[in-house]
Amino acid sequence: MKKSAFLVLVSLLAGFAFGCKARKSEFPADPLRQAYDSEADWSDPQRIVSLSYDQAQGKRIFYTQCVWCHADATPAGPSNRSNLNPMPALMNDGTVMNKESDEYLQNIITLGGSALSRSAMMPPYGQVLTQHEIQQVIAYARAIAQPRYQPPASPGPKYTAR
Amino acid sequence: MPAEQMGQISPRLRLIFVVTSVLFLLALAISPIRDFRKEWKRYKRAYLRFVQTRPDTKRLLADYRPQINQIWLPDLAVVDRCTTCHLGITQPTLLDASVPQPFRAHPSIPHPVSQWGCTACHRGQGAATEATEAHETTLAWEQPLLPVHFIQASCGTCHRANLPETPQLDRGRALLVQLNCVGCHRLRDVERPQMLGPDLTSIGTKVSRQWIYKWLKEPRSVTDLNGNVTVNGYMTGGLPRMPQFRLTEQELRDLSGYLSTLQSKPVKPYHFDPRALAGGKGDPADQGELRFRQMFCSTCHALSVTRAGTTSLIGGDIGPELTKIGSKVNPDWLAAWLRDPQDYLPHSKMPRYQWSDADLYSVTQYITKRLTDSDLLNGVPSLAAPTGDEVERGRRLFIDKGCASCHAIQGIPVQRDLGPDLSAIGARDVSQLSFGESKIPRNLIAYLQAKITDPLSVNTAARMPVYRLAPEDLDALTAALLSMTGAPATAGLQKLVVSQSPSEFHPAGEFGRVYERYKCYVCHQFKGFGGTLAPDLSYEGSRAQRQWLIGFLKDPKTVRPMLVLRMPQFNMTDQEAATLANYIGAALNSPDVGTGATDGKQFTPDRAAMGKQLYEGKYACQSCHTIGATGGYVGPNLNNAGNWLTPAWIEAWLRNPQALVPDTIEPRRAFTEDEIQALTAYLLTLRVSGKQGGATQVARAENASPESEGRR
Repeated sequence: MKKSAFLVLVSLLAGFAFGCKARKSEFPADPLRQAYDSEADWSDPQRIVSLSYDQAQGKRIFYTQCVWCHADATPAGPSNRSNLNPMPALMNDGTVMNKESDEYLQNIITLGGSALSRSAMMPPYGQVLTQHEIQQVIAYARAIAQPRYQPPASPGPKYTAR
Repeated sequence: MPAEQMGQISPRLRLIFVVTSVLFLLALAISPIRDFRKEWKRYKRAYLRFVQTRPDTKRLLADYRPQINQIWLPDLAVVDRCTTCHLGITQPTLLDASVPQPFRAHPSIPHPVSQWGCTACHRGQGAATEATEAHETTLAWEQPLLPVHFIQASCGTCHRANLPETPQLDRGRALLVQLNCVGCHRLRDVERPQMLGPDLTSIGTKVSRQWIYKWLKEPRSVTDLNGNVTVNGYMTGGLPRMPQFRLTEQELRDLSGYLSTLQSKPVKPYHFDPRALAGGKGDPADQGELRFRQMFCSTCHALSVTRAGTTSLIGGDIGPELTKIGSKVNPDWLAAWLRDPQDYLPHSKMPRYQWSDADLYSVTQYITKRLTDSDLLNGVPSLAAPTGDEVERGRRLFIDKGCASCHAIQGIPVQRDLGPDLSAIGARDVSQLSFGESKIPRNLIAYLQAKITDPLSVNTAARMPVYRLAPEDLDALTAALLSMTGAPATAGLQKLVVSQSPSEFHPAGEFGRVYERYKCYVCHQFKGFGGTLAPDLSYEGSRAQRQWLIGFLKDPKTVRPMLVLRMPQFNMTDQEAATLANYIGAALNSPDVGTGATDGKQFTPDRAAMGKQLYEGKYACQSCHTIGATGGYVGPNLNNAGNWLTPAWIEAWLRNPQALVPDTIEPRRAFTEDEIQALTAYLLTLRVSGKQGGATQVARAENASPESEGRR
């Protein structure tokens, strides 16, 4: 009798101490509504890629500066890509872009093709875009890459906060 | 009690003593245990464990404090304790998506957290120290965290002018204007324009009662549940010009009857010069079609075009789509309209073209004979002349349904504020919203989206018409509404507001008259005023040579082969073209471009040859610019650069294009002054003379344009 009363008392105390934490979330878990922005996969419009803030800024810059030569469709209609020789890589072409490091891409965007012994048709953007903006463009290209881009070994073991 | 038992306690008493001491101890322990188990302390301990797994542990712990962290900014009304748990927010090495929340760094933005706090953008309860209290709606705090998908709304609370970084918000603001929301609602920073929908004072002279009935029942743009907009059954990227109202059969009859009687300004048939009609060869409708294309009516008006088996609308959306216009309008009205649109609608954006009788006749023939559909009025009951009762009921309906909010009719006062004031909707508390019977989540975003897509779902008495928008447009509109949070809470916030700088540019004099006649500002920008479809002309006087300008105004040839929408042919007189060119040369100049005559001697053939080498070799300009028949489609065609551009402009442009046109996509190169001179010398040698040059340009441009292929 006493034992059970004691147990009841202890559990009451414990409940009092730790409270009820269960509350449900207000927003439905639609991943696209949780992402900053999104973009349909260029080769598979059904697959929607969520974009983070930096990737979304890169997307914005891509669609003003780069889209004319690095995509097959542009906001103004025809693309200039097929007009160039050598033909520029598609921005989502993982078979070409995944091999290159972030540093290399940053250099070629900043300094232009001729500085890296590539086609002089790629102009330098170092005076138009900031280094941060160029990194955002690279982040965007990585996000839409097909086949998908695997970053080189991520630092430290996996860890969760809980 | 025996002496030996003194000092001894009975077992019962001992038990009571033990139990109470244990309980007492436990009670004492409650407080430290609860304190230890506090949510934010658990995150602090987790962070300490987490940083041990990172290579830069020492640096990550440099700012670590075991207590509650708080950012206090009295000017902004910010008391934010978010950084108590979000410990890595300013650590650049924790930016990676593999870092678990709440420790991930914030992406780099122009507003550092120490100066702006968190809640100024993210909303939520800054002073809370528990995740649910901080992030969600609780009994004591209504404003939850703003989902990051709509975060641009927060930029808009202070940045009332558009920013390049907020495309979603800018789109939403454009939609608020485009959808005429201001007809019924008061909005922040959106003024009522002079005209929302067309003035209906003489609508009866333009269209029949049957057509009005059909339009009211099913405005020509139809949007399906997925947000796909079709006009006359053809897909388009545009938005409906008029939303769909819920009208009963009787209401349709009454309203169409009333509107068809509005004929206060009768149309006088235009008498064409018989010589002009006799002069043409072949079918006038064929000639009209050719003129319709040559004049580039499609820059503002779309037509449906079938290409490779799919039919879509091609052309601009400044004016209405015209595929079936011939079955809609009265032919006499059409001729009168084309001659002087402002006579019928004083605030119409349509330019007043200079028509020859032959052109006017053939174009009206084309429109009334070819742009028709005999099935347009299918499904409309036979409607006789309206009775007096119908007209009276229709007149009352026009006012009751709020038609007078957007459409003016002489003698009927303009309605204002038919719908609720939305200028502070973004800060509305959930408890103030009425959700009716609907099952949607109880939050502001769900409410706004339900209200826009199906007003009846939250309010069965709603008068608002149905808007079916594509999901991204719905989100953009929601972000724009969420950005309207009313007056800033503090004087400090008030000071931060970057307001729109509304500007008007309506010069007086002869230029002003021609400028208004051809509505130059509908497409072009002038000192911050005007449309964005065509190039900004604020510095055109520094850029273009006078002779070229006059020739271009008389007969516009596109210099940008990629464009689908081109400058229309206005058929303006020599006098008008000279007036425009004189004013542009005198008043629309850039302070960064010298106006003095450039010494032509420095541009020797040697320099030009060196420039050609630089153009083709080192800088590969041909990747974007066309000369002759080779080159790219991105920048303007340079075939006629020597006649088109001023030397001073070319030099200034090569030095720093963004200084002249801030959002140009021409990359700024590191040219030496020597190279700039050589390139300028080369570009000035590129000239085409008169007719022949123009013809090659057009031929090439049409090859590049998918639109012209589709029309053929």
